[in-house]
Amino acid sequence: MAKKALITGITGQDGSYLAELLLGKGYEVHGIVRRASTFNRGRLDGIYSDPQLSETRLFLHYGDLGDGSLVRLLARLQPGEIYNLGAQSHVRVSFDNPEYTTDINATGTVRLLEAIRESGVKSRFYQASSSEMYGKVHEVPQTENTPFQPRSPYAVSKVYAYWITVNYREAYGLHATNGILFNHESPRRGEGFVTRKITRAVAHIKAGLQNKLYLGNLDAKRDWGYAKEYVEAMWLMLQQDQPDDYVIATGETHSVREFLEEAFGHVGLDWSNYVVQDPRYLRPTEVDLLIGDCTKARHKLGWHPKTTFKALVKLMVDADIALLKAHREGQIKVTS
Amino acid sequence: MRRAFITGISGQDGSYLAEFLLGKDYEVHGLVRRFDTSPPYHLKHLLTDSAAANRLFLYQGDIEEGALLRHHLIKSKSEEVYHLAGKTQVGLSYEQVEITCQTNAMGTLKLLEIVRHLQHPVRLFYASSSEIFGCPDIMPQDEQTPYRPVTPYGCAKAFATQMVSVYRRSFGMYACSGILYNHESPRRGKHFVTQKICRAAAAISEGQQQELRLGSLAVQRDWGDARDYIRGMWQVLQHPRPEDFVFATGELHSVEEVLEIAFATVNLDWRNYVHQDPKLLRPDEPTQSVGNPAKARRLLGWKCSSTFQQLIREMTLSACRSSHGQ
Repeated sequence: MAKKALITGITGQDGSYLAELLLGKGYEVHGIVRRASTFNRGRLDGIYSDPQLSETRLFLHYGDLGDGSLVRLLARLQPGEIYNLGAQSHVRVSFDNPEYTTDINATGTVRLLEAIRESGVKSRFYQASSSEMYGKVHEVPQTENTPFQPRSPYAVSKVYAYWITVNYREAYGLHATNGILFNHESPRRGEGFVTRKITRAVAHIKAGLQNKLYLGNLDAKRDWGYAKEYVEAMWLMLQQDQPDDYVIATGETHSVREFLEEAFGHVGLDWSNYVVQDPRYLRPTEVDLLIGDCTKARHKLGWHPKTTFKALVKLMVDADIALLKAHREGQIKVTS
Repeated sequence: MRRAFITGISGQDGSYLAEFLLGKDYEVHGLVRRFDTSPPYHLKHLLTDSAAANRLFLYQGDIEEGALLRHHLIKSKSEEVYHLAGKTQVGLSYEQVEITCQTNAMGTLKLLEIVRHLQHPVRLFYASSSEIFGCPDIMPQDEQTPYRPVTPYGCAKAFATQMVSVYRRSFGMYACSGILYNHESPRRGKHFVTQKICRAAAAISEGQQQELRLGSLAVQRDWGDARDYIRGMWQVLQHPRPEDFVFATGELHSVEEVLEIAFATVNLDWRNYVHQDPKLLRPDEPTQSVGNPAKARRLLGWKCSSTFQQLIREMTLSACRSSHGQ
């Protein structure tokens, strides 16, 4: 019988890559999808274009981390692996919507863990933890032992989810693991995130459809990896005999400014002619220098980052140029 | 007249704090979860004292009912808010993970959001707990010690403490956490180990109880006097800058020492009455939790007014008086 996995947040960047990875490994994949008035499954189009896969092994269920119906779903599905990727994932937005962010990211994780305990399923659990939890960093680079000092409602909610996951592991013997993922990007990154915002703008500017790009802090530095590789680390974590916590990162840091240089440079443009700094996009408090040390994941999981920063920027710019071209040529179906 | 608002006013800390603030001529407003038919037990003496009662205003409500809380905070024009309400039992938090999260984590966030948007400036005190340190690597713990909670209660308290810090930093709010180590008094709830022991000693000496079942006797805690800790809360909000403070005695005492003092107070030997019950052991028992109150001493001039022995003796004698009264 096929292995069965449940993914919350399956319509997101990571969820869609993970679904593809697991389907490729022969899993039966179940995803929880929020009901929305707008179409929110665009990232799963690739899977749906293969009719055999979608008809037999990918199943979507309406649900929400803010809802208690998870228990019944778990009891019915009995998934061997659960990946909790569903979240209000935008840091800046969390300052405006802290209660919603907390309800989904913190309480939502408890609801899921309680559902596992209540339904008695023997699932392995992956919690999507984040480098944002380090906030005001105690050391550089950050490891699994670096203390957290969160600087945003998003980060505080993720720290709670991290500790409660460790708690269920230690108190109830659950196979529950935290992946502390540093920033990870891709052509499927949400358009509100700075990397995607830039690569999308580059495509539009190059095509003469846009002439200004409004951004917040250009000096913010992050450790940016390729999301498609990071979901593989998630899967590897749940294949280990013992649950544990792992940092997943490239170990390199680059500023938003460097990202701009690479992205605009790739199409022969000078970013400084287009970028305008807008204080509305600044966070009330910025985090310090985030660089991850993934030595433990290298040794225990045999995982390491492959795509370099430059290659990542290029592939994102190229993807946005191709996407725009396809749109303008009417080759992409209009989502409604 | 200065005005203060206390969530959790009917509890041990809330009732002492209300008394303390009324003594300083404050007008005191407080949120009580349920009245039932009789007024909150620890506030009875204030409500029947006319000088205090006309400056004490109680409202029925839950900290999760945001609109109601906002209404009372605006109407009372409180300049100081003491957030003491919450689920307080660490052991029970394993059975009530989601409710503990809703009350202690989300409840505090809702209050922060309300206070952030109030028109008048408010100073906010949050009663945090040493449980946020979990099993600390460092002894004693202070304001710089990393949080590593090991219980659902500790996780929710760490959330709230970090959120207070985020709001202070991000929105310039005057919001502070007091990281409080265990603090006891004759008003301590009966489920807490000190009170459980003091009441048992009193009841056994009166012939109303035969034995006492306890978990680990070797467990050590930093136990202070609740009346010192509520004075510390007030001192935090009088400080010119908003900051977090650890409140602790800096001393460790074991459950066995509590037994020793409590039973000696009623001239009994605890060894004849106490049975260890493995069911009462918690899954993750934090060890070596002891605080360093140096910062509070230095910046606030805060100190403990009684010894551990005096405290346990007083609690036992008070338990004897109430069991006589029954």
